[in-house]
Amino acid sequence: MDSTTTARAQSVQQQTRQNPQEPALRSEKSSGSRDEARIETPRISIAVDDTRKVRALNVKAAVDNLSFYYGQHRALKNLTIPIADRQVTALIGPSGCGKSTFLRCFNRMHDLQPDTRYEGSITLHPDNLNLVGPGVDPIEVRMRIGMVFQKPNPFPKSVFENVAYGLRLRGVRNRATLAEEVEKALRGAALWDEVKDRLQDSALALSGGQMQRLCIARALATTPEILLFDEPTSALDPIATAKIEELISTLRDQVTVLIVTHNMQQAARVSDYTAFMYLGELIEFDEAAKIFTNPSKKATEDYITGRYG
Amino acid sequence: MPDPLEGHTAKALDGALAELRLRAVSMGGLVIDQVSTSIRALLEGDATLAQLVISREARVNDLERTVDRDAFELIALHQPVAGDLRMAKAVSRITVELERAGDESKKIAKFAARLATGEPQGPVHAVARYLRHMATLTTGMLRDAVRALDEADSPMAQSVTARDSELDAEFAAALRQLLTLAMQDQRFLGATIDTVFALKGLERIGDHAKNIAEQVVFVASGEDVRHRRKRVTSDE
Repeated sequence: MDSTTTARAQSVQQQTRQNPQEPALRSEKSSGSRDEARIETPRISIAVDDTRKVRALNVKAAVDNLSFYYGQHRALKNLTIPIADRQVTALIGPSGCGKSTFLRCFNRMHDLQPDTRYEGSITLHPDNLNLVGPGVDPIEVRMRIGMVFQKPNPFPKSVFENVAYGLRLRGVRNRATLAEEVEKALRGAALWDEVKDRLQDSALALSGGQMQRLCIARALATTPEILLFDEPTSALDPIATAKIEELISTLRDQVTVLIVTHNMQQAARVSDYTAFMYLGELIEFDEAAKIFTNPSKKATEDYITGRYG
Repeated sequence: MPDPLEGHTAKALDGALAELRLRAVSMGGLVIDQVSTSIRALLEGDATLAQLVISREARVNDLERTVDRDAFELIALHQPVAGDLRMAKAVSRITVELERAGDESKKIAKFAARLATGEPQGPVHAVARYLRHMATLTTGMLRDAVRALDEADSPMAQSVTARDSELDAEFAAALRQLLTLAMQDQRFLGATIDTVFALKGLERIGDHAKNIAEQVVFVASGEDVRHRRKRVTSDE
């Protein structure tokens, strides 16, 4: 390892203070806040060397020293990862490395299991909400952070009702509003053209790829801030996979995406940033282009080139 | 040190990468021989040697095509990333450099053939010492660049890059020598120009060796060391 490589790895960091030369950037919310202290949105600044430019991006969620326990077992060990706003961050690593566990922390899925415990924090910006903090309502968290699973899991209801479900939960009753929002979500999930004439058909009659996009539409309907994908294409054929991947890259404009995938090429194709995890620890986090052409850590290189195990 | 190309769970990728490198290295061997043979033909006025170099040029071209295609196929079939991808990309580039070095030696061989059939030999003899020394330097650089590829030896590759300036200095000195000759006796002008091209060819082969060495450094570290001193700073 040469010194520049080490320097690069070290410069992968989260900047909580802004560069004094840059114009001050404050979220709208903080400027209107009653708090005396200004809440500043932290920014992410990924490694720079002579060939790479600094990309300063807002941080949507700052994971800081996060550990997670299943009973006595520590499944996540002191993870610190900045999740860039409206970018795609992919989590890769061998089975059991904790990437799904990590993903599930974001919408408090672990709360459904007894005897689990979080340490550290996941701070959601711009309002500085610690997602895993005590006193935070998991239901409220799940409203803001949507999730799409490995197997498409539509409700045994009509296409329309699947998408309208979250809106109804939120108390939307107006039929026109519902219809409008459902269409918007289905369009957002690139499914509208295929289902607009069969909105009342059962969702279970759709193809696997369509069901998965329906689940994405269902998640989009409640306008989440972060969308979590847990191996969303591992049960789909290449064409359906390509459609989902294309969808993920278009979603980037409106929502922050966090995706767990076993498919390395998929991580390379869809993500802006990639985190490699192993045994519950973060081994390397960098721009996807860097990870897949010249990773800084040997463990990362061994894993992505297929020299693991 | 373990071979950086080995250790994949899928052994087929180990094999494909090793095979690719082997073919690039053997192409390198052929090109090195082309260079040294062409200079021998030139200095000894040996038409047979010159013909040998000219006839083998087709093989060099053929190797460029096949090795490049192999690299391309490896990328398509195995989808290499990181160090493996860098190796495939570097080999593809190295074949181009080797082929161009081969071209230069063919041009030298053609000049050697003309000398053997009557072109004045004065200018070549005037700079024979330089030609010999530059040939030793360039073949040495090529040999080490190819060996560095074969043995994944980044320090050796870096030493090749460092030797390029010595070659440039030799070239400049040889030019001065020829210039003096040309001013004294204008009958040799045609042969002098040909000799300048031969010297320039050797200097170019040195550049190709340097480019190959830079690719080897890229394979090892992922660092692009090309045009290090000439980099334009942009603030876009």
